[in-house]
Amino acid sequence: MSKYGRKIVEYVFLIFLACIFVFPLVWMIVSSMKPEASIYLDMNSMKALLPSFSPSEWFQTYNALFSRFNVLQYVWNSVFYAVIVTIGSIIINGMAGYAFAKFQFRGKKFLFGLLLVLLIVPAETIIITQFTVAHGIGVLNTRLAVVLPMMASMFFIYLFRNFFMAVPDEIIESVKLDGANQWTIFWRIMLPMSKPAIATVGTLSFIASWNDYLWPLMVLTDTNKFPLQVAITNINTTEPVYTNQVMAILTVSTIPLIIVYIVAQKYILQGLGGSGTGIK
Amino acid sequence: MNSTKKESLAAYGFLAPALLLLGLFLVIPALLAIYYAFTDYYLLTPDKRQFVGLANFIEIFKDTIFLQSLKNIVVFVLCVIPVQVGAALGLALLINKQRRGNIFFKVAFFAPVVLSLVVISVLWLYLLNPSEGLINSLLVNIGFDAQPFLSSPKQAMYTIVFVSAWQGAGYQMLIFLAGLQNIPGTVYEAAKIDGVSKWQNFIYITMPLLKPTSILIMITTLIGAFKLIIQPMVMTQGGPMNSTITPVYYIYQTGFSDRLIGYSSAMTVLFGIVIAIVTLIQSKLTKEEDI
Repeated sequence: MSKYGRKIVEYVFLIFLACIFVFPLVWMIVSSMKPEASIYLDMNSMKALLPSFSPSEWFQTYNALFSRFNVLQYVWNSVFYAVIVTIGSIIINGMAGYAFAKFQFRGKKFLFGLLLVLLIVPAETIIITQFTVAHGIGVLNTRLAVVLPMMASMFFIYLFRNFFMAVPDEIIESVKLDGANQWTIFWRIMLPMSKPAIATVGTLSFIASWNDYLWPLMVLTDTNKFPLQVAITNINTTEPVYTNQVMAILTVSTIPLIIVYIVAQKYILQGLGGSGTGIK
Repeated sequence: MNSTKKESLAAYGFLAPALLLLGLFLVIPALLAIYYAFTDYYLLTPDKRQFVGLANFIEIFKDTIFLQSLKNIVVFVLCVIPVQVGAALGLALLINKQRRGNIFFKVAFFAPVVLSLVVISVLWLYLLNPSEGLINSLLVNIGFDAQPFLSSPKQAMYTIVFVSAWQGAGYQMLIFLAGLQNIPGTVYEAAKIDGVSKWQNFIYITMPLLKPTSILIMITTLIGAFKLIIQPMVMTQGGPMNSTITPVYYIYQTGFSDRLIGYSSAMTVLFGIVIAIVTLIQSKLTKEEDI
C-alpha cells in the first residue's frame, strides 16, 4: 500500500473510533435542543445527530424543564456542596498534612501508619453504617450530612504531607524567630507555597463532590436539598418523562465539569493513586 | 510546658479536624459494621438488637442472591479489565504518533470521562432502549436484529461492561500516553541502528518499559471495578433476574431498603475483607515495581 493510502486508512479508523466515543454526547446535547416528537422521528437518519433546524426551538426544552422543576435550586445545591467540600478538604487535609510533615510529636509514626491502613477500608461497602452514624449524630436530611464525610481524605493528607516535606525547615525556623506561631506559619507561608497541591486536591474534591450520588440520595429526603445527580434520577422517574427534558438536565449537570476539566486538566491526572480508576 | 509537649499539642490541634471526620465516617462505621455483623439489628428497632453469633454469616452462604452478586462482579471484573485497559493502551499507541489532528482525537476519546456515572447511565439507558433507542435503530438500519441489551439476563452485564469501559478508557489513555512519552527516544534510535522491526520494537522495548504504568492501571481498575454499583442501580436495578446485581449494590439494598443492618453488615465485613486483600496485594506488587 502506498504511503498516502495507509494514511487515509489510519485517519478513517481514527475518525470511526472518535465517533464511538463522541456520538452519545452529541446525541445528548442535540436531543435536548429539539421537540420531543422529532427525537424519535429522527432516529433512523443522520438527523438524530443534528439539532432542530429552527433555532427558535433550541432552548424551548430548557424553558420547559426550568419551569417544571426547580433546576436552579439543584444547580445551586450542587455548587454549594462542591465549593464547601473543596474549601474544607483543602484546609482540613492541608492542616493534617502539615502536622505530619513538620511536627515531631508522640504517636506520629503510629498514627500515620494507622491512617495508611485506613486507605484500604473501602468506603463504598461501609455506607450503611456511615448512615447509622449520620443518624446517630442527628444530621440526616441536612446539608451538613452531605459535605462532612467528603472533607477528610487519607490520600489528600498524604499528598499535602509529601508536598510540605519538600519545604526546607530553615524557612519555618526563620519565620519562627520572627515570632510567628504555627497557625500563622501554616496560613501565611505553607499554604501559599503549596499552590500545586491545593490545585490537585481542590480539583479532585470538586469533581468527587459534584459527581457524588449514593450518599446524598441516602441522607436527603427533602427535594429542595438535592444535588443535581440525585435530581437527575428524580426527573428521569417523574411522570410524564420527556426524553428531551432528561437530556437537558444531563447537559446542564455536565457543563460545570467541562469547565473544570478545561481549566484544571493538568491536575486531574495526579489523582491516579487515589480514586482515579476510571470506574470511580 | 516544655517545647516537645507544646509541639505535640500544636500537632494534634492541626490534626484534630481530619482525625475527627475520619474517625466519625471511616473508623467508627468500620468497627460498627464488624459489631453489627454479629447482631440481628433491624433499622427501625435498634434497641431490640441481639447478639446472634455467626448466624448472619451462615445465612450469607445460603443466600443465592449474594452468591449471584459475587459471580456477577467476577464476570464484570474479568471483562472490564481487558476491554477498558486494552482499549486505553490501543488508543494511546494510536495517538502517540506524530500526526495532524491528534489533539482532536485525544479530546474525543477523553470526552466521556467528563460525564458523571449517573449521567452516562441515564444517557445509555435511552440510547439502548430496545424499540426506540438510537443503537437499535442503527442496527436495524444496517440489517441486524434489534438487541435486548439491558433487558436480557445474558447481555445486561456485558452491556454494563461496555458502557463502563467506554467511559473510563479515555482517562487511562492519558496515563498510558504519559508513560509512552517517558520512554526516551534514544532507545528506539539505538534499536533502529540494530535493524529492529516495528513489531519487535513494541514487544521488546515499549511493552517492558510500559510495565509499571500498566500494572498501576490494571490494579486501580481492579479495585474500582469491585465497587461497581451506580451503573446497575440506574440502568437495570440489578435485573433482569439478578443478572447485574453486585455485592455493594446488594449490601446497599439489604441495609437501606430492607433495613436489615445486621445482615448487611455481615456481607460488608466479608466483602470488605475481599477488597482489602486485593488492595494489599496491590501495594505489595506496586512496591516491588517501584512506582
